[in-house]
Amino acid sequence: MALGNTSSAIHITGSGLPSSIRIPQNVTVHPVALFTILDHYLRRTDQQDRVIGTLLGRRTENEIEIKSAFAVLHSETDEQVAVDMEYHRTMYELHHKVNPKEVIVGWYSTGSNLNTYSALIQNFYSLETAPHPAVHITLNTGLVEGEEAGVKAYVSSPVGVTPKAENCVFVPVPVELRFHDAERSGLDILVDSSKSSSSTTPQPVPDLEVLERAVQDVSSMLDRVLAYVQSVLRGETKGDPAIGRYLMDTLGSSVGVGEEVGGFNGSLQDTLMVSYLASLVRSQAEVSARLVLTTASS
Amino acid sequence: MAAPSMAAALAASLPVPSAAPATPQPKYEAIPASMAKVIDIEAEIPLTNIQLDGMVVSKIIKHAREAPSTTAHGLLLGLDLDGTLEVSNSFPLPYHAHDDDEKSAKAIARHQGSMLRSLKEVQADDSVVGFYQATALGAFFNQTLVDTQAIHQEKLRHGGVVIVHDISQTARGNASFRAYRLTAAFMDAYKKSNFNTASLINHRLTFSSILEEVPLKIRTNPLLSSFLGTLTKSIPSPLADASPDEAYEAAVAPSYSALDLGTAGVTRNLEQIVEAVDAYRAEDGNVSYLIRQIARERAKADNYIAKRKEENQARIAQGLVPLPEEDVSRLFKVPAEPSRLESLLLLGQIDAYAKSLGDTASTSLVKMYAAKASAGM
Repeated sequence: MALGNTSSAIHITGSGLPSSIRIPQNVTVHPVALFTILDHYLRRTDQQDRVIGTLLGRRTENEIEIKSAFAVLHSETDEQVAVDMEYHRTMYELHHKVNPKEVIVGWYSTGSNLNTYSALIQNFYSLETAPHPAVHITLNTGLVEGEEAGVKAYVSSPVGVTPKAENCVFVPVPVELRFHDAERSGLDILVDSSKSSSSTTPQPVPDLEVLERAVQDVSSMLDRVLAYVQSVLRGETKGDPAIGRYLMDTLGSSVGVGEEVGGFNGSLQDTLMVSYLASLVRSQAEVSARLVLTTASS
Repeated sequence: MAAPSMAAALAASLPVPSAAPATPQPKYEAIPASMAKVIDIEAEIPLTNIQLDGMVVSKIIKHAREAPSTTAHGLLLGLDLDGTLEVSNSFPLPYHAHDDDEKSAKAIARHQGSMLRSLKEVQADDSVVGFYQATALGAFFNQTLVDTQAIHQEKLRHGGVVIVHDISQTARGNASFRAYRLTAAFMDAYKKSNFNTASLINHRLTFSSILEEVPLKIRTNPLLSSFLGTLTKSIPSPLADASPDEAYEAAVAPSYSALDLGTAGVTRNLEQIVEAVDAYRAEDGNVSYLIRQIARERAKADNYIAKRKEENQARIAQGLVPLPEEDVSRLFKVPAEPSRLESLLLLGQIDAYAKSLGDTASTSLVKMYAAKASAGM
């Protein structure tokens, strides 16, 4: 799942590197990290053009998984750039205590421009992540007109006859959003609330309402497919054989369920039993709690 | 048990109400007239609802999933405005499994202190407004939660809230966040640390009246909303002959986990009900044993008094000086009535497990009939 604009570039990694350290071929970002960056951007001071911070995550063979992020103080002027390294260390130790598996993998900044200062900061983070290369994530918040929101990842490689800290090439690396299935529903409520007019959603949502929404979604998709099929049948649109085959595969697979009549009844009885048991336990608990209140007064 | 010590550490690290960091120095002329009504320096406007920021939602879910057990907990930071508590940030607290009590309590307090200082430096909210607790299958009643919240309710501005996040429900496709605070009746009984039967009757306490729920909303700020919009937008694939699966892709594709017919969690849920009922039975046994002991001791004391009275009457009849009526409470130790808090909390747990089981059963009934209808039976 790509973030922002998909590019048509092909990423080729050099295999001729002599060292055993491999350049990551893929970077995945957890939603928490992105949301933390956005929050940091919201809380910037007037003087700050962009904000930077440290990315924490895990490294595997050739992939870097960014799991969280924290803000780091920095200041940029025309003459110099300063990063509060002490602050960065303290914050890292605090995070490390709670989640020992997460290590520093790189840094983020907002906005899409890479400049000399980026190279300097990249140099600092490379020292932190040595011997592994540091990744740099740029998150464009989409606030500047004409620029689209999106996330890009880079690794750096030195350039020039004599390597200097402020000289480096940022090599783009493909970046993806990744989250666990269980976290999916959390993202769903955020998407829901971002679509609602007041940008809030009341909690908790009953299970049945979620189910109803999902069923309605499926039903509207079926309607869309039906409309398409009918228009093909009437000859108004030209049918796409690939879509036809996919439809047949998808709809044909669900027929098998109908043969299990006995299974349905058995399962129905089980579910009813469980539901009965649950309400029995609840009423027993309620009675028991009330009996405690009455025993002494009698 | 690390529970009371953790609570004590929290208490030690929390500011006293008079020095609450959320309270700005009173500058009445600086507050514009339009805002004068909604800003309350003295924390007089009662909290009516909680507003949870999108970032906090994702942080809590991540922590709850990655924590080694279901004990993931952390602190909530934010501000209140006109009766709405806006929770804008959170951070997890370290999990200590087997460490020395005293040591881990101090470590937590230190951790919290330096985290708050650090967050303040990057302009994040740094006033503690409560804590969050992850739970599975809806049962979050326990001593730790009650202790911590009781301390918060005394020390924090507005009393603070606890936000409970249910992992198992989130896995079923419906992320659930609920906010609670302790009721006044329970706080009163807790302050007196008196949970015998008489006190329960006086305060009308059952498990359902320990906590009161505060309405909770989830809010995404405009920047996050627009970014989520970008993430969910589907982008046509650059390849011309892509298969329908890949023709459009979005970073966040729609999901239909709510339609899953599986009933994987039910067995676990039933097991937990049985465990909770067993624990309740054991606790009930303890309480009734203590009550029998009290009755026995009291009967002994009563016997002694009656005997002494009889003896004295006999002595008076014989014209002798009656024996002094000694203080019986010194001779017979009548044990104090046992605390009912533990069994109260266990009952609450049983109820919560059963409620979650009932909810699962009712939705799976609906799903089964939907599947039956679609299969054309």
